[in-house]
Amino acid sequence: MRVLGVETSCDETSAAVVRRDGDKVALEGLAILSQDVHRIFGGVVPELASRAHLVAIDQVVDHALAQANADLADIDAVAVTRGPGLLGALLVGVTWAKTVAWREHLPCIGVHHLEGHLFAPTLESHDVAPPFTALLVSGGHTLLLDVPAWGEYRLLGQTRDDAAGEAFDKVGSLLGLDYPAGAAVERLAAGGDPTRFVFPRPLLKAAPGPADRYAFSFSGLKTAVLRAVQQSNDLSRDRTDIARGFQDAVIDVLVAKTGAAADAYGRDLVLVGGGVACNRALADAMRHALAPHTRVAVASPRLNTDNAAMIAAAGSWRLMRGEHHGPDLDARDALPLPGLPVAGGVAA
Amino acid sequence: MITLAFDTATDRCTVAATDGAGVAHRFVDGARRHAGALLGLLDETLLELGAKPGDIGRLIVADGPGSFTGLRVAAAVAKALAWRRQLEWRVVPSLLARAAAHAPPGGGKVLALSDALRGELFAGCWYVTPTSVERAGPAPRAMPPASLASWTPVDVVVGSIPPPLIAAVASAAGREPITGEAALPDARTLLALLNIAAATTLVVNPAGWEPDYGRPAEAQVVWERAHGRELPPAPGIAR
Repeated sequence: MRVLGVETSCDETSAAVVRRDGDKVALEGLAILSQDVHRIFGGVVPELASRAHLVAIDQVVDHALAQANADLADIDAVAVTRGPGLLGALLVGVTWAKTVAWREHLPCIGVHHLEGHLFAPTLESHDVAPPFTALLVSGGHTLLLDVPAWGEYRLLGQTRDDAAGEAFDKVGSLLGLDYPAGAAVERLAAGGDPTRFVFPRPLLKAAPGPADRYAFSFSGLKTAVLRAVQQSNDLSRDRTDIARGFQDAVIDVLVAKTGAAADAYGRDLVLVGGGVACNRALADAMRHALAPHTRVAVASPRLNTDNAAMIAAAGSWRLMRGEHHGPDLDARDALPLPGLPVAGGVAA
Repeated sequence: MITLAFDTATDRCTVAATDGAGVAHRFVDGARRHAGALLGLLDETLLELGAKPGDIGRLIVADGPGSFTGLRVAAAVAKALAWRRQLEWRVVPSLLARAAAHAPPGGGKVLALSDALRGELFAGCWYVTPTSVERAGPAPRAMPPASLASWTPVDVVVGSIPPPLIAAVASAAGREPITGEAALPDARTLLALLNIAAATTLVVNPAGWEPDYGRPAEAQVVWERAHGRELPPAPGIAR
């Protein structure tokens, strides 16, 4: 089955072609267009993102098909991110994708963005499969899941305030870095002294209560960095060390809680996904802390940023099970992960 | 060959299709329903004509100004229908479609309006006869009701006008506006406008096309005001 994927949940317009053969899924073409306009504003402007998606989408899909050496006639189904994300941005992708599916008489499946991130490593490693513990960290999300099987998800914890990637961006701004700042903070931190600024490890206690065990909070850490910046009398000298102290604090918390979850649920595979998973220090620390009993799967940076390949991979798995949506498929800015227990049952 | 018309610039999502002999049309009300409903409405109109998506040979779409989200829904559908197809795609200003629907039988000057939020209205004015249209004054844009006086005298005022603004519109335009249910758009008017050459514009670059939003994004307005210059172009970065 060859699936065309479309992703427009935030500020990346992306399209991809993947081929699924049973449990194996292979990437054939991927195009990602990152909107640069938001750098000027220091964050994503939803209306500008929506407008940019509309102008880009035809050409981005053309590019993905060309990479895959495929024509529309070679496509068996369409998968598109239906949520969560920026509603206006999602609407462009969902409306475009379901219309192409309708006119070509192809099945169309709406995919949960975070389920896409879970499938991203499967495009590079065929042996990445449940059961595993998953840490999804990006500018919009920070959550810890137990995944006993594809389509069955148990939410262990999530952030109570800022997402980890959001904290990286805000700290980057305090340090005078352009948005998005994750990669720049990482580069600064690489040259920093880990002993000069030791920031608190939020919600990381020796004996956490049940509510705190897998929960995250980064807004207090951000405030601690703000104080350090304000107290510095030479920020150009201190900023590499501040970046290092901040990054170490975030990584310590993410690694400790993920390791604890893997231990508690007896998982020997941990998957780290989302934009913050592009941070090599995080991946290295996770591997170092969990070895040798637990393997850590992290997709390559291109598949960890928001991309349509992961959406096509997740969508193709659901299509293989006979699932699809009709012409009334709608975008949702807030959407529970399918298979996740919610009040009154399980999210569809 | 099927000609398909749709307008999602207001609370009403209206769709019409013709095979040259018959016309099918549908609508739903509620701006939040457009994205979920539009494709189903298109499907129903084609079914009524015994046609299928592959029979669509021409599109005519109301291209704004109006609801940003509504315009994008129509634009995304039109782009997806036109993508990799030899299909004639024409657009009509949303306000012109409303003006044409309410022109006096012998022709006249019609001021068409729609809610632009924040106490403003999108406004455009045309001289409309059964065989011609000609824009009177500037291209449609957002403005406060008091500015409508620049178009007077007009023969008809029509549009979706928030109730608190109706009195101000009547005062500035010199006429009681046609508003409410009677003023809502009907995609069959778009089909009729295909017979008037000056009413429609051919979309020559479907991939790069975008609707007439009527105003920039608010963040852009604030940035340009603060910096005293236009927001610089920021093309995407391919990864």
